[in-house]
Amino acid sequence: MNAGMEFKLSHLQSMLLFALLISIAFGFLSRRRPMDRVKYIVWSLLLFLLIGVGIGWAMYPFSH
Amino acid sequence: MANETVVPAAVRQDSRRETIAFLTGVAGWLVPGLGHALLRMWGRAVMCFLTVGVLVILGAGMRGNVFSSSGNDAFDTLGFLADLGTGTFYLAARSLEANGADVSHAGGDYGTRFLATAGVLNLLAALHAYEAARGRKA
Repeated sequence: MNAGMEFKLSHLQSMLLFALLISIAFGFLSRRRPMDRVKYIVWSLLLFLLIGVGIGWAMYPFSH
Repeated sequence: MANETVVPAAVRQDSRRETIAFLTGVAGWLVPGLGHALLRMWGRAVMCFLTVGVLVILGAGMRGNVFSSSGNDAFDTLGFLADLGTGTFYLAARSLEANGADVSHAGGDYGTRFLATAGVLNLLAALHAYEAARGRKA
């Protein structure tokens, strides 16, 4: 891969992409009906983000 | 007498089904989504292929560590096994990462996690395809 094709993502962008991709994969694998999949994906994504940001803030005092 | 002929036939059918399920799982591991495609679960097949593919491209593009078999410690070996879970995409990741890994910044570290997650996710999908082929899950 040449240097121009490298991805430079921030922490937040990386976390968002990771959460979105894994939520979609889990939703498709674990649910059959489209509506159930959408609900599962949205819930999973929200929990990923909530827990990720929560853990980030919980670690904040230790960074100083 | 009738039972003696029926039971072996049923056992043979079970054995054949188990073999097909195993091959479906292996196909799903080698090419992400192929296991589900063979079972005509098109949505899941496309999702597996795209999700694992995007994770591998992002992971290699962020210069994550693509572990090789010649690891120094147990973590390297575990990383190699996780990366190997992507099947043939492992080779794609190695060729995409021509400049080598760079985990000195956060992006490279995220890339390593993306690659490992892609492998574990593909193994999960292959196991799902195997179970579906056995008729135990859909």
